[in-house]
Formats: sequence, C-alpha cells, structure tokens
Amino acid sequence: MAVKFPSDEWIKELSAQLNASESYAQAAATWEGDNIFVILPDADYPDTTYLYINLQHGKASDARQLSSLDEQKALFNTSAPFNTWRKVLEGRLDPIQGMFSGKLKLVGSLAQVQRTPKATYEMVKVAAQIDTDFGS
Amino acid sequence: MNGYLGKLLRVDLNQSRLWDEALNEDYARNYVGGSGLAARYLYNILDANTDPLGPENPLFFLTGPLVGTSMTSAGRYSVCARSPLTGIWGEANSGGFFGPELRYAGYDGVLITGKAEQPVWLSIVEGQAALHTAGDLWGSDIYATQTRLREALGDPKVRVACIGLAGENMVKLAGIANDHGRFSARTGLGAVMGSKNLKAIAARGTGKVPLYAPEEFRAVTNQILALYKEDFPAQSLRAYGTAGYVNLSHMLGDLPIRYFQLGEYAPADNLSGVDLAEKYLTRNTACHKCVIACGRETRSPTYNDSKVDGPEYETVGALGSLLMIFDLEAVIHAGHLCNLYGMDIISMGVTIGLACELFERGLLTTADTGGLEIRYGDAETVFRLIELTARCEGFGAVLAEGNAALAERAGVPELSATVNRLEVPMHEPRAYLGMAVTYALSPRGACHMEGDMFSLDLGQSNLEEVSLEPGDRHDNTIEKGRTAARLQAWRNLYNSLTLCQFENPGVRPLLAAINAATGWGLEAEDLMTLGKRIVNIKRLMNFKLGLTKANDRLPDLLLKPLKEGGSAGYVPDIPTLLAGAYAEFGWDPESGRPLGDLHL
Repeated sequence: MAVKFPSDEWIKELSAQLNASESYAQAAATWEGDNIFVILPDADYPDTTYLYINLQHGKASDARQLSSLDEQKALFNTSAPFNTWRKVLEGRLDPIQGMFSGKLKLVGSLAQVQRTPKATYEMVKVAAQIDTDFGS
Repeated sequence: MNGYLGKLLRVDLNQSRLWDEALNEDYARNYVGGSGLAARYLYNILDANTDPLGPENPLFFLTGPLVGTSMTSAGRYSVCARSPLTGIWGEANSGGFFGPELRYAGYDGVLITGKAEQPVWLSIVEGQAALHTAGDLWGSDIYATQTRLREALGDPKVRVACIGLAGENMVKLAGIANDHGRFSARTGLGAVMGSKNLKAIAARGTGKVPLYAPEEFRAVTNQILALYKEDFPAQSLRAYGTAGYVNLSHMLGDLPIRYFQLGEYAPADNLSGVDLAEKYLTRNTACHKCVIACGRETRSPTYNDSKVDGPEYETVGALGSLLMIFDLEAVIHAGHLCNLYGMDIISMGVTIGLACELFERGLLTTADTGGLEIRYGDAETVFRLIELTARCEGFGAVLAEGNAALAERAGVPELSATVNRLEVPMHEPRAYLGMAVTYALSPRGACHMEGDMFSLDLGQSNLEEVSLEPGDRHDNTIEKGRTAARLQAWRNLYNSLTLCQFENPGVRPLLAAINAATGWGLEAEDLMTLGKRIVNIKRLMNFKLGLTKANDRLPDLLLKPLKEGGSAGYVPDIPTLLAGAYAEFGWDPESGRPLGDLHL
C-alpha cells in the first residue's frame, strides 16, 4: 500500500528501507549526520512539513515528523517545495543537479556532502523505491 | 568607445619599435574581446606558412570590455597565437589581476611580432611602454621574475605576465604565468613568448575603463554580487576549491584514472578537495573583484613546500589519479614544479601518463629514457620528468614535444590522448557525452573551457533563455549535440568577454552588465549570435591552418567503454552528436565549413 508523502509514516518507511539496503550501508559507511527534510508549500501542497532522520555510518534511526524546526536541530537542513521533492523521489530530478541548480537548498556541512556524494545518491535511490502516494 | 580603452599597444621586437594603434571598433562590436577579437585580428595575418616559433607568429594579449570594472570575476585576459604544440589556433586565458592592470595602464591589449636580438622584458606603465634588457632575469623561475620586476619598477602593485625556464627553452607545453602561479597554460604559448626572446610584460596604471552608464552598471554588478551569497557552486568552490569536485567526479566516472583506462579506483577519493582544505590549505586566493576565491594556497611539508599555488582539480587529476598517484602532498609538489618552470599541468600530466603506459606495455624502455623507469604511482620519477622536460634534457626533450608526438614516436598514435594534438583535460567524455562535442570541436583542441557540459549537466544553470538546460549526462542524441554546441558558443562569448566561467549570474544580469558597459543595446538572442560568430571565425582560422572536417574526432582511447564506475559502458555516439552540433552552428554537413555572414 502506498505511503503518503510527506508524513511521519513515510520517513519511518525510508528509515526501514535504508536499514535494509546493503548498498546504502556501504555507500554511507563514513557518513555522520542527521538531516531535516523541509517540504515547503506550493500549488499542490499547502503546508510546511519537517521530516527528521538520523543517519550514522550507513544506518538510519529516530525517523519522525517534527512539528517545527524548534523541536530538533540537525547537521543538515534540506529544503524544497513539495513538487521539487516529488521530482527527486520520482527520479525526474537528480539530487546533485537539484543542489547545484539551487532547486534543493542545503544548509549544513558541505564537507560531508562533498566527500561522500555516493551516500546522498544511494539514499535517494532507496527513497525512490518506496511506494509513495503524492496525493494526486 | 565605452567598455574599451580604444587602444592597442603594438610591439615589433625585430626593430625594438613600440607604437599605439586604435582598436578596431567594428571588430570589437562583432567579436567582443579576448580570444574572439584576437581571432578576428589574426585571421588576416595567420596562414599555413606561419611558423609558430618564428618571428612572424603574432602573440596577442587581449582583455574584454568588462575587465577591470566592478564586475565580479571579470579579471581575465587571453593570449592567442598559432600554437607550436598543435599547429592550429592557440589560445589560453588566465585570471588574477594582470588583465585589469593592463587596462588601467591604458591598453585593451598588446600585439607582439618579431624577435628581440637579446632577451628583453616589456614595461607598460601609465600609458608609457618600454623594452628593457632581461639580462640575468632570463633563467629565473616565474616567482622570482615577478618579484624582480616589481622591484625594478619600484611598485609592489605592478602585475607581471612572464615565462619560466620551459618557455625560454621553447618547450611546447610552456605556459605564461601571472599573479604568482596563475597561468595562461594551454597550447604552448609560453614557447611562442620564448621564441621572441620576451621574458615578461609588466603592467601598472591608475586609469579607468569608460562605461556607457556607470550608475546602471554599478547597480547591476551589485545585484550580481548578491546572487553569490546563496549559490551552492560558489559556496563549494570557496570552501574546497575546484578540487572539491574530486569525490563527485570519481563517483560519476568523470575523473580520469590510470591514463583514461580505469573508471573507478577507491584510493582516488584520497585526492579530495575537502582533505586538501583540512590538511594543506594555508589560505584562499581570489582574482580581481571575485567573491568566490576558489584559488588555493597550500603547503606540502614532506617536500618542504611552504607556499604553493594550487592544486586545482585539473592538477589533482593530471598529476594524481591519471598517474596513479594518490598522495596529495606529492600532487601539490608536482604542481609546484610545473608552476616554477612555467608549464601546462594538464599537458605535462597527460604526456607523462602516456610515458607510463608505454613503459608498462614495453613500448618504451630504459634505453629510450636515459635509464629512468617510468611507472604509474612513482611520484619521484614524475618530479624528475617535469624538471627534465622544462630543461629539455634527456628524455625530457621528447616529452617537451607533447603527448601526440610521443605516441607517434612510439608507433602507437592510437594511444594518444589528444584532440588535434592538445592533451585531453580531466573530464571524461564518457561521463558527460556532451563533452565529446566540446573536445571534438573546440577551436584549440581538447579543452574543457570551450563548453563545460559537466557544469551544465550537473545543474549549474540559469540559462534557459538561451536554451541551455541541464540534461541527462549520458544522453547520446542529436539534441545533446545541439546543446553542447550552444554551450560552446556561450563559453566562447565568455572567453571573449574574458569572464570567469565560475561566474554564472544568468542571461539577464549579464546582458544588463554588457549593455551598461558598452551601450550596445543587445537582446538576449544577440549573445548567442555573438558566441556562434566567435566559434565560426576560429573554425575558419583552423581550416586556413590545415584542419578539415576529418579532424572533428575523439582519440580511440576515449571511445572504448570503461568497465567500472559511474560511466561504465558508455561511449559517445560521435556521428549523432556532431550532426546535432553542425546543425546548431549551421555548418555545411559535407565540408564542415561555417556558412552565412561572419562580418569578416
């Protein structure tokens, strides 16, 4: 059954699938950093939603939806409008293209991202495999 | 003549004669500046009989209309001549402060012909030019030369463009240095300067560039500056330099490894720009009015180097992964040696890379190399080869002729990693298939600055208005060929404005800046027309110098699929991609010649 995006259920599903992925575990073996995905409103989505996930050495934990940015600090905040996230999750926007073009705004440790780009790619690859309901 | 000083300095070294010449306004309007304007001037002068190292080969230093203004990253200059390395159109450009200083001294450019009887240097100070005997300056490295000329003119603000030992020895890989270790590196133009017995040009001035609408210009350049605060590529370049791309490049299969024959090799991640910044960076350096400051000043304690310019991404590839050297300190040192002697790092690395491969295959032995075993991963031998090349000693005299000559000498031209005899830079055309078009059609031979498809397809873009948008990097279609051609036109416009390619404010801000500087009243589509015209004149020049459509090709080495990594299995479909590019440029499909009005 499809999981609604964005939601607490969806980020927990991502966490579960990352933990089941051998290729993510390998690619993110040196990755240390939690992330908040900020889903901004646009024509197809009226709210701002915050999804938190802790990523350490190829494993995910503590995944949950936040009520606001005050609830939790993270090493990375990645923000984009709903439809940009949708494009990334449907494989229509490469995540690195998204960052370089400014469509995905990343605030956090550039060093981590630049040193282990494969971790980002593998995470998006896993996320794209989730049966996701975008609401339309 | 807004945006221009309206004046060239002419130098005839045969007769030690210097004079001013008005800049041709019609040429400037149609070919802008930098390498485009130089091509227009030299089109009437160069032909197949011009000896690249003869006194008749003109050496042209040129700036663009935004250079020396408040426009960020508009501090570059171009150098052009017939290349001794390739035999075709030669151009190179460099950042720093020399270009702006030349304009403050009163000139848009300097056109040099002839050969001095004895080594000389040229001073241009506040509109006054003079030739001076070089004396024992001849033989100095590029850093000592710059220091001594600042002392000779008694002004620390003097900016110098000069050659090192490699240029003096007419090594075909020699470049021209300025502002410490910045280089107009490619196509061997340092050898042309050496052939003229010209060691250096020193410039100093306090003049200003006349602008059509100064207030408007200031407003738009401030607006452009503001764009870089949140720009991801700019932040990345500032933090980790161009080498910050190494890990991503490795993942995508864009980083050449083991002489373009490996698509992935884990130790390559040791060459990361992040590690460079954390362990060896002493400070960032910036060009004129640049807020990005991608330049690196580093140290290499193992080799007692306390102040080194670089390494850039190209250095890390050409003197690192390509040669299977994965020790950043060794790469820093090798880059420093190339800087000291004044040599193009890309060409040097790719030529040594071929020597490693030939040695590996038994096509080169110690009998050929003066006893040297040239093995992948042997940094000490690389240091020795760089020195021998600069001095044209022993096997270095062979390497001094470049990669294509070495491959021919060994009887294996198919192992050459060149396009039209210029060594391929550190971006794999199997990783970004559009780069195949860039390399095959680049007017100066294989060059990544003639159309950076890796930047476009990575997402560095706000150029929709000129139909340039990021796409699938492995797209092998006519449309990809068209896109690569449009990007080549766009970057040729940049190389004529002499703008840094890391400055990408988008079409409208750039257009506003050009119009406020020059008063030309251009529309967005005019920018692409100018870019294509510049590509076309360089192509016509190359046809005049002996190239044909058959030269639009990639080396065999780069048309074999890699077995591993992010580009495994991909090779560019050259006929399809080039058909798209020809259609975009409007070239005759049979002859490859440009058609239409070139304003010649």
